[in-house]
Amino acid sequence: MDPRLSEEQEILRKAARDFLTDKCPKTLVREMEQDEKGYSPELWKEIADLGWMGLAFPEEYGGGGMSFLDLAILLEEMGRVLFPEPFFSTVILGGLPILDIGSDEQKKKYLPDIISGKAIFTMALTEADGKYDAASVKVKATAADNGYVINGTKLFIHDANVADYFLCVARTDDKSKAEDGITIFIVDARSPGISKTVLKTIARDKQCEVIFDQVKVPMENILGKLNQGWSEVRKIIERAAIAKSCEMLGGMEVVLDMTVAYVKERVQFDVPVGVFQAIQHHCVYMLLEVEGSRATAYEAAWRISTGRAYSSEAAITKAWVSDAYQRVVALGTQAHGGVSIIEDHDMPLYFRRAKAAELAFGDARFHRKTVARNLGFKVA
Amino acid sequence: MDFELTPEEKAFQKEIREFLDKECNKNVVAETLSLQGAGPYSKELLRKMGAARLLAPRWPEEYGGRGMGAMSEVIKVDEITSHNAPFPLDGVELGNAILISGTEEQKKRFLPGVASGEIDIALGYTEPNAGSDVASIQLRAVDNGDHFILNGQKIYNSEAHVCEYHWLLTRTDPTAEKKHRGLSMFIVDLKSPGITIRPLITSGGLRTNEVFYEDVKVSRENLVGEKNGGWKVVMSALYGSAAGGGMATETKNVINTMVKYAIEEKQDADENQWIPEVMADLWVKTHVAEITGMRATAFGDLGVTNLQYGGGGSASRLLASETRRILYNTAMQILGPYGQLTKNSKYAPLEGEILKEYMDAPRLSIVHGSQEIQKLLIATRGLGLPRK
Repeated sequence: MDPRLSEEQEILRKAARDFLTDKCPKTLVREMEQDEKGYSPELWKEIADLGWMGLAFPEEYGGGGMSFLDLAILLEEMGRVLFPEPFFSTVILGGLPILDIGSDEQKKKYLPDIISGKAIFTMALTEADGKYDAASVKVKATAADNGYVINGTKLFIHDANVADYFLCVARTDDKSKAEDGITIFIVDARSPGISKTVLKTIARDKQCEVIFDQVKVPMENILGKLNQGWSEVRKIIERAAIAKSCEMLGGMEVVLDMTVAYVKERVQFDVPVGVFQAIQHHCVYMLLEVEGSRATAYEAAWRISTGRAYSSEAAITKAWVSDAYQRVVALGTQAHGGVSIIEDHDMPLYFRRAKAAELAFGDARFHRKTVARNLGFKVA
Repeated sequence: MDFELTPEEKAFQKEIREFLDKECNKNVVAETLSLQGAGPYSKELLRKMGAARLLAPRWPEEYGGRGMGAMSEVIKVDEITSHNAPFPLDGVELGNAILISGTEEQKKRFLPGVASGEIDIALGYTEPNAGSDVASIQLRAVDNGDHFILNGQKIYNSEAHVCEYHWLLTRTDPTAEKKHRGLSMFIVDLKSPGITIRPLITSGGLRTNEVFYEDVKVSRENLVGEKNGGWKVVMSALYGSAAGGGMATETKNVINTMVKYAIEEKQDADENQWIPEVMADLWVKTHVAEITGMRATAFGDLGVTNLQYGGGGSASRLLASETRRILYNTAMQILGPYGQLTKNSKYAPLEGEILKEYMDAPRLSIVHGSQEIQKLLIATRGLGLPRK
């Protein structure tokens, strides 16, 4: 066992931290919360030029040929600064699935644009009941004119307001059981019949309602196999759960750091409040959550990187990290006291995002059900 | 980054597992589960393990070890625990301190004996008035030139009644300005005249001891480290045991046992629908504690101590001991009224073992540095929080 990052990974981490500290201050984060697009196209171009979008894609498409673990480090750094750009949607929910199951033509067509920052992608998966299971996919795609016509409403679709393409998960056969009859389509976001509304959310991120009304998609835009998309979607969800956990780890680290720094300085009863064991224990429990999150998120990312199975580790990781981020923010807020519940403090930014991240790609309870199934229980 | 054991570690794991599959017979298991300390069958097994160089894999070969890294200790402890083989082996942990602080003569005198399973050393720190505050111990050692005379009392010294030697922290300078400056460490033969060992039994049925010293003579050769330099030796012993630990085969086995029991006996009833999620949560916690501990151990091997690295080792031990307590409490809840039936009682489920572990669980968050001391260490040394 070797717990260290490689020298290249240390360099990547430092470069990312320096860049993000400089380019993504909290003023930008707050500005983007109010911004219509929700991201900065200038910053998007800069990170494309740095090769971040292409980091984990093969060189033949213009990528950096690095591993998922390298990408995980980048996500952790983005989580630290609450990076507002549509990176996660584009790379994790768009690019990597195309790399995995796209045809040669699809890869050649879409990956270079993702890598160069020209195209923003996202996945249109969840619907009215907000769940990540096959039965919840009800948006229909019906065969017609050498293609398909999509109808229905998707909900909670991140960055749909600015996306150029959706990977739309739709039901192409509703006669068989829930897991069968699902197909993934690459849909041009400018197709006639698509309407998008940004929802007002706790994290003020851009989650949207996307209505598909008689949206035509050509046959060649099927990603993967007709009617057999669910197993791929599951894989995408599991990988996204790990990737999201890496982001959340970064956020937790910052909350811990700022709390420890604050309790060393804040004086009450003539001593720094960090002297009090009540406060010390809050900090210790925060550290346990962070250390546990780091170990399990890195392990899961390493498993993806090295081609190992990661389904069970995805569930363990997202179950742990979802609760951990909540607890870290709650204890950090408690240790700070009143100052940290004022809206212009940084803590509420993390507080709001911890909840949004918990809900994304399955909360702890969702993933504990998977763990229970893996243990042998029959769980609905 | 790599989360796999090295080929050498995997080979060691396979070797010790197969060895214990074969040699850890039901007599040994019965002695272990009796919680009365290593009996004759256990001692015989320890000698066999020693002959196969399985007891102290981390030590240099010349003292009976294999010169492996800290992960070999984690593997050893994991296999011993999951086989119900005799444990603890304080002699091996304390041997790490002898390696750091002992003279060459002391290393030659004690280490090969410990590594071969011939001798074991019991920990002798705690006194009735010195628990977490170890440095306030009072057992007195008076310097008589070539020997010291010892008087006082130790308490909660588990295994002292079956060990050959005592790792004894004494006070040699009662006038020292700071209390931790007047301490000295000795290795004392427990058969020395003047030593009386009396049993103390925990609520979980484990035998521990009080050890009384009355004018006990110990040779100067048995002083470890400098006179009045005992605190440094205590720290080196803590360092030796500061590996993160981690592998949780036994805990995972217990979870699987309870899952099987719950599925067979319980799951259909409506009132038991809470069980799958709670057991899943325990699995998550166990896995996270395991992987956190292994990372800390691996960092420790690279010279990054657990505390420098944000408390990973202490963190994993806290996680593991808290999880263990929740696990046995949950297991008792799953068993319902049957959980209270003791071993050999009519209707006792799973041979009464869950009840026994449940009864013993509180001990594990107190021994070897209580959870509160672990938290204090993490807070002050790991996070750098102020003491005053």
